[in-house]
Amino acid sequence: MSLQKQQILNKEIESFDFQSGGEASSDLKNILRKLGVPSAIVRKTAIITYELEMNVVIHSLGGEITALISEDELEIRVDDSGPGIEDLDKAFTAGFSTASDEIREMGFGAGMGLVNVKRYADQIDVKSSKDDGTHVKVIINLAN
Amino acid sequence: MTKKHSVLLKEEKCEGCTNCVKGCPTKAIRVHQGKAWIKEDLCIDCAECIRACEYHAKYTKTDQLDQIMESSEYPVLLIPPSFYSQFSAGIPAQKIKKSIINLGFEAVFDVADAAAALSRKTLDFLNNNSGNYISTSCPVIVRLIKLQYPDLIEMLIPLKSPVELIAERVERKLKEEKNIDPDIFFLTPCPAKLTTVKRAIGQNKSFLTGAIGVENIYQKIYESLADIELEEKEDQLISLATIWGSEGGEEGILRSWQELNTLSVSGIKKAKKLLNEIERNNIPEAIRYFEITSCVDGCIGGVLNVINPFQAQFNLEERIKKIRQITQEHNLVLKKEDDEFYNFALSQKITADNISKLDSNFKKAMQKLEQLQKEIDILPGLDCAACGAPDCKTFAEDVINERASRTDCIFMLRKQLSRLADDLSILANELPPVMASKKEEADDS
Ligand code: SF4
Ligand code: SF4
Repeated sequence: MSLQKQQILNKEIESFDFQSGGEASSDLKNILRKLGVPSAIVRKTAIITYELEMNVVIHSLGGEITALISEDELEIRVDDSGPGIEDLDKAFTAGFSTASDEIREMGFGAGMGLVNVKRYADQIDVKSSKDDGTHVKVIINLAN
Repeated sequence: MTKKHSVLLKEEKCEGCTNCVKGCPTKAIRVHQGKAWIKEDLCIDCAECIRACEYHAKYTKTDQLDQIMESSEYPVLLIPPSFYSQFSAGIPAQKIKKSIINLGFEAVFDVADAAAALSRKTLDFLNNNSGNYISTSCPVIVRLIKLQYPDLIEMLIPLKSPVELIAERVERKLKEEKNIDPDIFFLTPCPAKLTTVKRAIGQNKSFLTGAIGVENIYQKIYESLADIELEEKEDQLISLATIWGSEGGEEGILRSWQELNTLSVSGIKKAKKLLNEIERNNIPEAIRYFEITSCVDGCIGGVLNVINPFQAQFNLEERIKKIRQITQEHNLVLKKEDDEFYNFALSQKITADNISKLDSNFKKAMQKLEQLQKEIDILPGLDCAACGAPDCKTFAEDVINERASRTDCIFMLRKQLSRLADDLSILANELPPVMASKKEEADDS
């Protein structure tokens, strides 16, 4: 059973705000460094958080990201307020993307988002519905 | 004690303006009691503070020519590619070298020769290994990665820098051929290379004895050029790898041999942006090699150079054109027998400088993190730097680490003063007990 987790980050993410997209991932990276988390795990977290953050920026109406930590686990939660992912299985397929052409031209939405997250996360749980948006919970093990 | 960095402060010149504090990429500078102090562990010798200081209070102390000549029996000098950018292309390289010999050096060698060999080795390495790599030739970038991007250390290509390569070879050559133990100096365009003399990267020890700044001897060389006569055929050409002196030189050579995805970036700010993107996997994996230099435009932008970087760029390009014309070769040769004389591999692993930790115990670090967050919330968040730290967050960290006190922030001081003033006025309004009792009596009646 994991110990009580403490919140170390909570940040709002705005839809289509490409300027600040990536800030949460940088902030979290800095916090983990301060806590002495091994660099390989910091890297994983930076990649995961960035993907999730950009997902919110590109695909949603806005949301928030929260990170909680205990000595043996890091939990990242990303909650957005819609429109939800239609087909979750597809979203976990490499190359599948619902990004608009405009966004693809900017170099985003190559369809690696959730696939990448899954690749680096130790656990991932995604809930999505049309009315309730998308809720992603990722666990990264800290204790070896 | 040997310093861990080479950028220093002339205290008497520092006005405490905090211009340098804000520009430091590792937040290494604090102004305390009107003077800018550099934190040893954090300084990566990028020289941004030298560039930012209007009072010329920051400087680099490299070796002095007369000291070298006095103390060394057999001094030799290694010339970096960027040095040729300090002269117009019309001045033969051999003339420049002769003039250096006239200063008292026994011999001079071109770092470009090792750079050429290293380019060949790099291509070979990339073709035989998968993955994406970062050049190790700029020590500032290597130190930045050690300090702030430790998870990218494995991307650093495990090969020596051109300067160390040639130094090692020269040392061995002179030993074998003449039984001489030379003192090898580097003609450095930057403080960072000076630091590597004391703190070699990926090696136990540097092959250099010291380094002398370009600015230290430029004038002497320049003035003596007119008097130097070259005998016929003496103008040996320098290598096309001299292009390493400016941004894109290294990748240009690799690409001249083979279609390869590379990227070159110069300037510490851009370098940090790129490293951030690499760290979050937001850069195409197809890019196999990154040439990253701390100075804008590459080493020709080194702070110890004399000529402005625009002219330097022009000079270097002209010189390359000339070499191409004379050799009738457009590209550097891809095969050279004597490359095997270089010992490319780094003897030690490059390791992280883990100093951003709040505490090595997780629980204590968490407590400190909480404290830090509280401290940040109290501060005004204006990042005015009047406290001597670059921004409020960094100041908060200094406070919880007991390296600064909260009232170093003028806003916090003002708050405290106003609280104190309130207390004072309350105190002042409180009547002395004798009079108070009289008043009570009066009220009673
Ligand atoms: S040389 Fe660079 S890292 Fe060192 S104190 Fe100056 S600005 Fe900061
Ligand atoms: S770019 Fe060249 S001159 Fe500038 S710090 Fe790096 S090695 Fe030194």
